[in-house]
Amino acid sequence: MAIRNTGGAAVLELRGLSKNFGGLNAVQGVNLKVFPGDRKAIIGPNGAGKTTLFNVITGVLPASSGAALLFGENITGWPSHRRTALGMARTFQVTSLFPKLTVLDNVLLAIKGLRRSKYVMWRPLSSYRDVHDKARQLLESAGYWDRRDVEVRNLSHGERRQVEIVLGLASDPKILLLDEPAAGLASGESREMAQFLKRLDPGLAILLIEHDMDVVFDVVDHISVLHFGEVVEEGTTASIRASARVQEIYLGTG
Amino acid sequence: MLSKIARSLSWGLVAVGLAAGTGMSRESGAAQELRIGFLAPTTGIFAQIGKDMTNGFQMYLDEVKGDFAGAKVKFIVEDEEGKPPVGVRKVEKLIRQDKVHMFIGGLLASTGYALAPVSTRLKTVYVASIPAADDLTQRDSAKFPLLVRTGWTSSQPNHPFGEWACEQGYKRIVAIAADYAFGHEVVGGFQRAFEACGGRIIQKIWPPLGTIDFGPFIPTLKKDADAIFTLMVGPMSLQFPKQLASAGIKKPVLGGGTSYDEFVLPSMGDEVIGHVSALQYSAALETPRNAAFVKKYREKYGKVPSYYSESNYTTAQMIHEVMKKTKGKWPGAEQFVKLLASIQLETARGPVRLDEMKNPVHNVYIRKVERKKLHGYAKDELWNSVVKTYPNVSQFWKFGKAEFLKQPVYSRDFPPCKFCE
Amino acid sequence: MTMDNRRKILMVVAALLAVLVITPFSGSYVIVLVTHALIFGILAMSLDILLGYTGLPSLGQAAYLGMGAYLTAVLATRYQFGLDWTFWVVVVLGILIAAATAAFFGLFAIRATGVYFLMITLALGMCVWGLAYRWNSLTGGDNGIVLPPRPEFGIELADDVTYFYLVFGFFAVSLATLYLLVRSPFGHSLVGIRENELRMRILGYNTWLHKYIAFIIAGGYGGLAGVLWAQAHGLVSPEDVILATSVDALLMVVLGGPGTLVGGAIGAGIVVFLREYLSTLVPWWQYVLGGVYVLTILYLPGGLMGLPERIRGSRMPAAVAGEVKSLPSVSH
Repeated sequence: MAIRNTGGAAVLELRGLSKNFGGLNAVQGVNLKVFPGDRKAIIGPNGAGKTTLFNVITGVLPASSGAALLFGENITGWPSHRRTALGMARTFQVTSLFPKLTVLDNVLLAIKGLRRSKYVMWRPLSSYRDVHDKARQLLESAGYWDRRDVEVRNLSHGERRQVEIVLGLASDPKILLLDEPAAGLASGESREMAQFLKRLDPGLAILLIEHDMDVVFDVVDHISVLHFGEVVEEGTTASIRASARVQEIYLGTG
Repeated sequence: MLSKIARSLSWGLVAVGLAAGTGMSRESGAAQELRIGFLAPTTGIFAQIGKDMTNGFQMYLDEVKGDFAGAKVKFIVEDEEGKPPVGVRKVEKLIRQDKVHMFIGGLLASTGYALAPVSTRLKTVYVASIPAADDLTQRDSAKFPLLVRTGWTSSQPNHPFGEWACEQGYKRIVAIAADYAFGHEVVGGFQRAFEACGGRIIQKIWPPLGTIDFGPFIPTLKKDADAIFTLMVGPMSLQFPKQLASAGIKKPVLGGGTSYDEFVLPSMGDEVIGHVSALQYSAALETPRNAAFVKKYREKYGKVPSYYSESNYTTAQMIHEVMKKTKGKWPGAEQFVKLLASIQLETARGPVRLDEMKNPVHNVYIRKVERKKLHGYAKDELWNSVVKTYPNVSQFWKFGKAEFLKQPVYSRDFPPCKFCE
Repeated sequence: MTMDNRRKILMVVAALLAVLVITPFSGSYVIVLVTHALIFGILAMSLDILLGYTGLPSLGQAAYLGMGAYLTAVLATRYQFGLDWTFWVVVVLGILIAAATAAFFGLFAIRATGVYFLMITLALGMCVWGLAYRWNSLTGGDNGIVLPPRPEFGIELADDVTYFYLVFGFFAVSLATLYLLVRSPFGHSLVGIRENELRMRILGYNTWLHKYIAFIIAGGYGGLAGVLWAQAHGLVSPEDVILATSVDALLMVVLGGPGTLVGGAIGAGIVVFLREYLSTLVPWWQYVLGGVYVLTILYLPGGLMGLPERIRGSRMPAAVAGEVKSLPSVSH
């Protein structure tokens, strides 16, 4: 993997990133910098353009204008898998795992996807020590090693969301984009999710969109507020919590 | 997960063991036992024919109480489903497990071609009572030393039939026949003989086997032909005459023998009256021997015997004749073949002997479908009335063996259709 | 985990050895049937790669058996090739021609999934049947091709026991190589595709290519089964490539347990023996076989291989018993 000497530069930088659907400006001129170890969130009411912004950042949708830079490299036109190879990973709002396979198998599939050895058919997978060591390291740090042989469909919803994130980490990302990691979780599970996120490698940059403000305030230290596709406020969690404008938007009077 | 594999495998082994056990328990010891394997389609679309075949043989066995000159006959019927590969599997079973002295039957010509090599490979007598594939007793005869045919070759009755067509003054005939080896050989035999006496086949149409809708074919039949020659099988033979009649075609229709066989005749309507066919047997044959055979068969099985019944009845009779000569002792496969091939016998179909290639020489009857009373039955029924008898017809007809064998086997393209327009 | 695994492999090997040792002492008919069962076992295992591991329900596996079988028959009767040591060459050619056919058919089939995949493979299988049936000059039409006696070249394949050993050898090699395949990174990915193809694509897998390769491999093993079948049966006919043969193969896998490899082989054994013995005993044997299939699908979705787990499951508390696996995972 090409790791550049970024010299303290941003992991991810958005410069006036926009996305139009016909006449609708779903995302307008978003500027954002994420540095190594940053924990940032993008919040906003439904329809504010959060998921569209994520899709543009990860290359699922092409940008209409503006640029996205990963480690200073302009990745605006790149397909998703090239961004992944450079160190960007994302999770999806809807859990998409391999329910009938074990936790370990799920993680192994994610690790293998990035390696040439995935085409090897004359040597058992179990003989690839590096793959297994990597899986072990990921599962141990996530606290799932003991339950590696449990089929994913036997896990709770909250646990599945956590495994989903472990899969995202398999590509050794430098930045992780989380699309509503606490969506649909009970409050107890949300708290566990927040704890889980805080346990992750402190060097990893995280950018998340989330509705659950408890999780947001617990996990991140910087928030951007998106409204009708534009960043209307940004700052520390404390300043956002105090912002009258944000209150207004969330109360629906803005 | 593999423990599941192992456990299930052990179950599999138990199954194999059981199968092996039953296989061995079937060993037989009786010295004077004659084990006969019989292959007939008892399920599937040919099940009715299979029943006729089995009944024919069984009736003879019942007549002699299962005793062939002191040998107790063990008659083992296997279902060959009208499929050659199934026939081969069943023969393997009959020979290897039941240790039969001979096997008989098979329905389709293709089954005959498939079974004959098994008789050679496993050194067991094969009596082909029905499969009519020409080459079994012609060009390939040398490959099958343990094969004897008691039935017929596909082309055999159609050689005299061709000559008969000339005698009727037909000059131009169109042929429409099911597109498979049997159809090719039936048409080929007819064409060869018909053209040898000056007739012309002006068109050949080959509907695929199993065709039920002849709509696309009937309108293409040449309007200026003197007659139509046809060979259909199974459901095809019911549908074709009906659709021909409803298309308003009133030309004389000549058919291969199986088209109007007694097993389909009761299901047919008046549209087939006047149709003419040729075969070595007709239930309407008015000889005392046949009249008795028909009555007895009908009493027992509730229907008129077809050639499928007669051929297997006669086969049983011939085997009995051989066993009389050996006084009930199994003479060994080669000797049995020799004895069977030298037999001359009066049968329901008339006098039968075998030629040097082990195929019957027998009468061929030209038969016209008529509605009438026969054999003392009270009702008007459809019968294949015999209009002419060609006595002692061999598979080589008048062409001479050597000359005949020089030509290739009849096929879709042989004889070539040189008068086709 | 690996200790346990080794024990299980040993049990399969022991069972195979039992078949190897017991069979030659059985009646000659049983030897023939075991030989047939092993050949169909190879075909069923090849299909299991598609159905059980990749989740592709192919209804055209008979086509590859047919390619191998017809190749063997045509070479033997028209060119007198493969009647001595060149038999080995025919084995290789049979695998290659079937794999090549699969490579061609795969271009059409692989893009489809589920029932569409089923329909396309069915249609492609019918094409091969049509060729076998209509291409009279090459295939002998509905007469098929009768093969000359099996080759003898120091190894007397004409002898049924010798031929059984040969087929057993090919079966064992097929089982071992296919087992290695499903345990390999590639085989692991196939299971991932079966479970969630979209997710696999997001994880960076070219799922089309994976399925395409699996399709070709399955075809190759089908071709091997075809060569062995032609020599075992001595007759190759359109009946060998009809839909019913493909359906049989599919049902063997379903009966034994998809995604288990060995299950397909067990299914093959059961179907072959049931068919031959039942059909001798009762005329309505096909309904019995049909009933067995229906019951398996309804009550034993994991096939016979799922049976022990099913029994274990019924002893467990209800909550857990509801989670009985219908398809096994890849890490054993």
